[in-house]
Amino acid sequence: MIDGLRQFFLRVTSLCHGKQMDQELDAELAAHLDLAIEENLQRGMTAEEARRQALIRFGGTQQAIEQHRDARGLPGLEILFQDLRYAVRALFKNPGFTIAVVITLALGIAVNATMFSLVSAFLLRRPAVHEADRVAVVTSVNPGRGFLPDTNPVSAPNYFAWREANDVFSDASAADEDRSVSLTAQGQPEALAAAAVSSSYFNVLGVPAYLGRTFSDGEDQPGRDHVAILSHELWERRFGSNSSIIGSTVRLNRENYVVVGVMPASFRLMGFTPQLWTPLTLTLADRATAARKDRNLYVFARLKPDVTLERARTEISNLVRRSEQDFPETEKGWGAAVRTLPDFLVYNFGIRNGLAVMMTAVGFVLMMACANVAGLLLARATGRQKELGIRIALGAGRLRIIRQLLTEGLLNALLGGGVALVLAYWGVHFVATKMTFNEAVSAVPITLDRNVFLFVLGVSVLCAVLCSLAPALRASRTDINTILKDESRAASAGRSHSRLRTVLVTGEIALALFLLIGAGLLIHGIYVIEHQNLGFQPDPLLTAGVTLDSARYKDATQQVGFVRDAISRIQNIPGAEAVAVTSDLPATGPSTVNVQIKGEPDLPASQALGTRDVVVSVDYFNTTEIPVLRGRMFTETDNATASAVVLVNQQFVHRLLHDQEPLGKQIRLSVSVPVPQWCEIVGVVANVKNYSEAPDEDPQVYEPFLQRPIPSFSIMVRAKTDPNNLASDVRTAIAEVDPELPLERVMSMPAVIERQKMGDVVFTRLLGVFAILALIFAAIGIYGLIAYSVGQRTHEIGIRVALGAGSSQVVRMVLREGLKMTAIGGAIGLGLALPLPKVLNALFSGMVFGEPRLYLVVPLAIVAVSILATYIPARRAASVDPTIALRNS
Amino acid sequence: MNASKLDLLQGTLDLMVLQTLNAMGALHGYGIARRIEHVSGDKVFLNQGTIYASLVRLQQRGWISSEWGVSSNNRKAKFYSITKRGRKQLSEDAVNWQRLSSVMSRVLAMQGEGGDQ
Repeated sequence: MIDGLRQFFLRVTSLCHGKQMDQELDAELAAHLDLAIEENLQRGMTAEEARRQALIRFGGTQQAIEQHRDARGLPGLEILFQDLRYAVRALFKNPGFTIAVVITLALGIAVNATMFSLVSAFLLRRPAVHEADRVAVVTSVNPGRGFLPDTNPVSAPNYFAWREANDVFSDASAADEDRSVSLTAQGQPEALAAAAVSSSYFNVLGVPAYLGRTFSDGEDQPGRDHVAILSHELWERRFGSNSSIIGSTVRLNRENYVVVGVMPASFRLMGFTPQLWTPLTLTLADRATAARKDRNLYVFARLKPDVTLERARTEISNLVRRSEQDFPETEKGWGAAVRTLPDFLVYNFGIRNGLAVMMTAVGFVLMMACANVAGLLLARATGRQKELGIRIALGAGRLRIIRQLLTEGLLNALLGGGVALVLAYWGVHFVATKMTFNEAVSAVPITLDRNVFLFVLGVSVLCAVLCSLAPALRASRTDINTILKDESRAASAGRSHSRLRTVLVTGEIALALFLLIGAGLLIHGIYVIEHQNLGFQPDPLLTAGVTLDSARYKDATQQVGFVRDAISRIQNIPGAEAVAVTSDLPATGPSTVNVQIKGEPDLPASQALGTRDVVVSVDYFNTTEIPVLRGRMFTETDNATASAVVLVNQQFVHRLLHDQEPLGKQIRLSVSVPVPQWCEIVGVVANVKNYSEAPDEDPQVYEPFLQRPIPSFSIMVRAKTDPNNLASDVRTAIAEVDPELPLERVMSMPAVIERQKMGDVVFTRLLGVFAILALIFAAIGIYGLIAYSVGQRTHEIGIRVALGAGSSQVVRMVLREGLKMTAIGGAIGLGLALPLPKVLNALFSGMVFGEPRLYLVVPLAIVAVSILATYIPARRAASVDPTIALRNS
Repeated sequence: MNASKLDLLQGTLDLMVLQTLNAMGALHGYGIARRIEHVSGDKVFLNQGTIYASLVRLQQRGWISSEWGVSSNNRKAKFYSITKRGRKQLSEDAVNWQRLSSVMSRVLAMQGEGGDQ
């Protein structure tokens, strides 16, 4: 071992002292020959014969020197240096070629690196949690459809049941991640996203506080629960990073809380953005059967050592079956899912499919870039055939030639990768500024991190192999005899050479067509959604969220009082036209409840009818401009003392009442009020989309706020001009009613819709850019190949022209060559693109893709581009002067 | 190539060089080559030049050392001599080689007897 090391060391140092060692060897060999000659002379040979014999006995001097070098040094490394030197020289000898190759690869790699920065940011980053893979997240599985039905939160009774009965978790905690609290530390009240968590939450995750401490046992009991932990961001922003905050009191929801800790900045669970944590107090009421309907807790649990995720799944599914038997009304059909924390966060974020589509697209773009570079290298290999032929004749092995060409390819690709990193820097910056459509997305930093660097390195090496392997293998198969003899007098040299390029370009055309259709489908789908009629008039509406805390607004009367007061004050603002409050802003996915229709037979729980349910104030339909089609709107007299009434939408009449006369019908909603009562349908309104980003319209019921007051709602104000101008007046009006009540998410309705779009829009726009890039690559590919083949065939074309072929005939001949490739490639691409709408529909749930016209327009566009790319070299071919062409060899 | 001469097996040259130096003391490259040719009765096919690769290899392994000196007829030449570790290596290799060659001759002898049946 030591000897091995010593020898390796000597071999490496001999690399550095090569010249000196060579000189020494020269002297030694000279002495050897002298000694031999002398001995031969003594034997009586002539001087000349003595020298000749000495040299014969010695064998080749050059060979001996080579053997010596191989024995003392590291031959592999030396060859690599040689190849590199040679490659660098080749690069500089032909800068135009090098620039073309490097830029093509750089563009291809840069789009990949940019997209990969998203993969790295959203999929590869691990949560800053102790042994995150040992933390399990338990969620409910909603039997209904919808977006990610298997990440539904869990009800408190189920949390208790699972925590107490299981045998697989060493500790479990629950978190209500979706709370809002008002902070009135100093100045304006502010609504903060907050989470209420079990006292063991931070212990389960294994994350200590940055300052102070996390919650201790018993702080989730009523009476001891007025403690809070701040996020690092909130601590910086509101409390100036003052460490004396620990132990001091802040006002949250009008009550005093003691700050016990600040979490580190790195503590962030992707998709959740609480700015502070308070203890989750669960009382006896939360164990009652009635609480089973409120599913709002995520369960985070640490697996016992040696317990696999699989075992935890089996355990939980047994417990689920038990509660399904015990509480069939609420639990029927509901299941549970168990995932590791990293898995859950990525899955719940729901960005994986989008990223997969994007990575596939940029992968295709890279393949096309590689195909173009391979084409360029193949073309150049033809030009270098003579050089390679000479090198082979001089004794270079085939492996050596392949190595040489691969080294050149690697150098090109690494240069491309380097430029790509610079481009990707801008790309990542651009994407990062676009990926800010909501808090959860903006909270994820997108950077050129280590993963991206490694990715670029790996992709560059892959590119080098992809691009230069085909030319290298081809070049090494060179038959030196034909090459050295060949004076390129042959009518069409390099025929077989361009066959491989033809295949590459045909493949490029197929990919470009596939990408363009894919991008076209997505862009069209998004366009349709963006321009769909939502069923109401979003502009100019101002919206703001309000959560009435239970400290001051204990009961319905107080909630109604606040709303009355607030609405009348806002109505007095000069720029305000109409004001309303609603449980859910239109097209933001109101919740679904079960509904019974009087006179119809009772259905079993699993087949219960569902409808979306919204609570609105009197002026809602005027404010949103949702047309009332039949019957009447709500009035001030539809209050707690009057008989219960509702409005329904057209879908309700169509799907649930089967187009029977709706007015006067009685329905009962399974909403969480003490005793659900029968309500009379008094009007029918037009449909509104469930979500602004999807085309679905579900049955929907509107309940009057006066009859079913709720503590959390949104205010909507129809403005006369720009709604944002009203924001401060609305704040003032609310402050007059309650100075400690913050307004949440004050923004115009179009802004609300914009935030809901998630990544789809950004992604499809980027995809459009990639598809155009693909088209450009394909065009360059066709152009390069045809231009090259025209150049090669100058001689042949010269003969044709000399024999009387007209210029239009020549143009047609060249065009035919290009169009043949386009036709074959296009047909393949079209075949690949046929199942795309189905694939996209499956990947982006809730959206419908399919635009048959694209299957005509895109191929036509490809044909047009390829004709253009072929026509330029074809014109050049037609203008060939036969005398010059024939003279020129 | 002269068919009547023996082609050197891989690794045998190194052993020959070691043994030569062990027996003769310090020698220059030419001397070693001549010595081997002489001892083998000119039966070994040796390009004298190949000996220098063997010498540098042995030197890097620390089995021989070298220094410049003056030959008997007053020529400057590099003289090689075996080191202590070289001797140790030589005795190990010699034993191995002898065992191998005795096994080989026995195996070949067996083939000769069995071939007739």
